[in-house]
Amino acid sequence: MRQRGLDVLLWIVSRLVPEREREPLVGDLSEEYAVRANAASSSVALKWCLRQVCASAPPLLWANLRRVAWLSTIGVAMLAYVAVGVVEFGVNWGLSIASGHETAAYNPVGMLITFPMVVIIGYSTARLRPSAPAVLATMMVVAVTVMTLSANESVPLWYRIAYFVVGPAAAILGGAVKRLRFAPERG
Amino acid sequence: MKKRDDPLGSLEHIVLLAVMRLDANAYGMTVRREIENATGRDISIGAVYTTLDRLESKGFVRSYTGEPTAERGGRAKRYFDLTADGMGALRNTHDVILKLSAGLKGLQPT
Repeated sequence: MRQRGLDVLLWIVSRLVPEREREPLVGDLSEEYAVRANAASSSVALKWCLRQVCASAPPLLWANLRRVAWLSTIGVAMLAYVAVGVVEFGVNWGLSIASGHETAAYNPVGMLITFPMVVIIGYSTARLRPSAPAVLATMMVVAVTVMTLSANESVPLWYRIAYFVVGPAAAILGGAVKRLRFAPERG
Repeated sequence: MKKRDDPLGSLEHIVLLAVMRLDANAYGMTVRREIENATGRDISIGAVYTTLDRLESKGFVRSYTGEPTAERGGRAKRYFDLTADGMGALRNTHDVILKLSAGLKGLQPT
């Protein structure tokens, strides 16, 4: 009966850790169970094991959540990418209306307006996840590459090439500004 | 990314000291026992493992797998040892504690 209880506890704890830590952690608990069962009784050893599993669950679960932190980094970068798209669309739309000509939207003025906005987006994403601006920049490079290779005639080539550099640079710059602003002072 | 000269967290500090004391016999349960004997704290094995994992990702300890043993049901141990960066982090934290506690009354060793 107690062996079955121990097996259940070991199974529970083994589910809370990545595979490479499973064998040593379960082995450690088995070893300590045997030591305590010999020194006192199997009942005392089992209670100790139960307390250990209950106390170990929160830090092990938290560590698991931290291991999947890259998912939230990608999520933040994707939201930022959408925000960049909305900003770009808004600026181009505003310039089209102002000039009264659709292709007039693709001009350096649009880029000059968009650049600081993307810096701000990069800065904001870095506040949420430090690595998000780098992921955002990578997404932008991939998107512009795909757009260039797909030979979309409606977007001028100079604009695509400029965005290949300007967009990712703005995102990285935003992240760098955040790092500089919150860097601890050193003597 | 934490740098080597950042002071260690309190549990990180204690776990690193335990690894150093245990030398070649530092694995999860011996580290836990060492801390329990020194502090009287019934620390959980999960907290020890997550701290060791964090210290390894910072480059302060490295781990290797030992041979499986019968008393562990044929399961292998994961041994840890201190790296040069870990030693540097321990020295730095020790220096900070000494500097901050120097001259303070009531902090002499008992």
